[in-house]
Amino acid sequence: MYDFSLLTDETVRAIIIGLILFAVAFVSFVVVALFTLFKTNIYTTRHKEKINLFCDVAYFHEKGKREDQEDSIYISPMDKLEHTGLVAACSDGMGGLLNGEVVSKFVTDSLREHYPYQFDAQADNAAIITDISNQVYEQYHLGAGATLVMVHILDDYMNFYSLGDSNIILIRNNRATLLNQKQNYVTLMIRKLAEGGLDTTDAYKDSRAKGLIDFVGNLNCKVQMTTRPLRLIENDIIIVSSDGVTDSMPLNRIVNHIHFDQNATGIARTIKYGVRSRKNPRQDNYSAVVIKMKRSFI
Amino acid sequence: MIEYYTFKHRGADEEYRDEVFLRLVPNLTVAIFNGSKLDSPKSQALLFSEILSSDEGSKGIDYLNGVFDECLDEESEYLILRVESKGIESIRRGSVCAKIVRYGQISLLPNGYFGLSSDDRIVCATSNFFKYLNDEGILADALVAGTCDDWMNMMVRRISDQTQLKCGNLSAVTLKLNS
Repeated sequence: MYDFSLLTDETVRAIIIGLILFAVAFVSFVVVALFTLFKTNIYTTRHKEKINLFCDVAYFHEKGKREDQEDSIYISPMDKLEHTGLVAACSDGMGGLLNGEVVSKFVTDSLREHYPYQFDAQADNAAIITDISNQVYEQYHLGAGATLVMVHILDDYMNFYSLGDSNIILIRNNRATLLNQKQNYVTLMIRKLAEGGLDTTDAYKDSRAKGLIDFVGNLNCKVQMTTRPLRLIENDIIIVSSDGVTDSMPLNRIVNHIHFDQNATGIARTIKYGVRSRKNPRQDNYSAVVIKMKRSFI
Repeated sequence: MIEYYTFKHRGADEEYRDEVFLRLVPNLTVAIFNGSKLDSPKSQALLFSEILSSDEGSKGIDYLNGVFDECLDEESEYLILRVESKGIESIRRGSVCAKIVRYGQISLLPNGYFGLSSDDRIVCATSNFFKYLNDEGILADALVAGTCDDWMNMMVRRISDQTQLKCGNLSAVTLKLNS
């Protein structure tokens, strides 16, 4: 047994008061912590779904072996992310035509001017792109053109828009998928051959196969767009890129190169050096916006 | 209003061994038969169609399943979908299946009754059709396509990019419920 008789009454009282205060503080802390956990319910998947995703964004914009940089990219202001979402676009001036760099820059500048975009007004947004295309047509009369890929992400959903043969790639569960369909002659030829019950080998052999059937600079172009948004999930990676990226780094190669714990900057850097390491003597310009969907409790 | 589009392709095989069946009355019934595992798929496919077009074809899905169990080879694979007023009833045997696109997500359509909402999209197909597609591709195409044939053509393009449609029989139906 301890003998407290040597302590004065005041000291014993102070110790008791100190212990009581400590106990009250500890109990208050536990109550507040439990209440916070209960309120936010951090450990349940259900709650995880209630917390919106946010976009981690990075980009690269590199010149290949061409004389001019014909790619142009646009990323909407990050401080408006919560209200108007993220808009990211990549435009690639069409090879073989003049003023590719002027047109692609005009496209992204025009997109910037029209910002902000209504998330659920896909047809209106597509009409803006068609209008930009018509302006290019008025100026060049098919003498110049560009492709365009654009994504609009708000909370956990994404709409996308595409003209031509640039790429919108979704990497989910270690698998890369090209979301947009390339608007080239192959599409038309496949349709015809498949309807006739034939195989489609000839479609890919045809010299016109890669020729675009729609692009920015075409009169009243038909923009490929989502009529309903696509649901995104945590750790989805979206790559909005020119074809200079995928010509040197096919989709499966991109997946093999990146690590899933990388952030957007790391992924963008890996892809950029992946393309560069191919040392393609005819390397096209290569640009991409990389978006990684993350979830935050803060 | 229900919109649908069917796709049947030999896929460079000598013969087409699947069967796609549609019955519009009293309710839309879609059935896909896959005979790839059978020795005499043609006769089984004919039997399948015959049963569906008979009076028994309009009876309940469970009853119909019992009839198929009784009459068809046990290696037969099939899927039957019947669109009711507010939902869809389905039953499948083997690897023929249906996927539904709803609220920007895609999932496998379960056996039994499933409530539908406007703008739901469904693709039912044999395993050989789905083999060359992934869920994200099917989903993206469904969200982009304005019509059922657009959606089908987009998926066929994806299969063609990998196989040039020399991949064996392909059978699929796309369905869209318009509000």
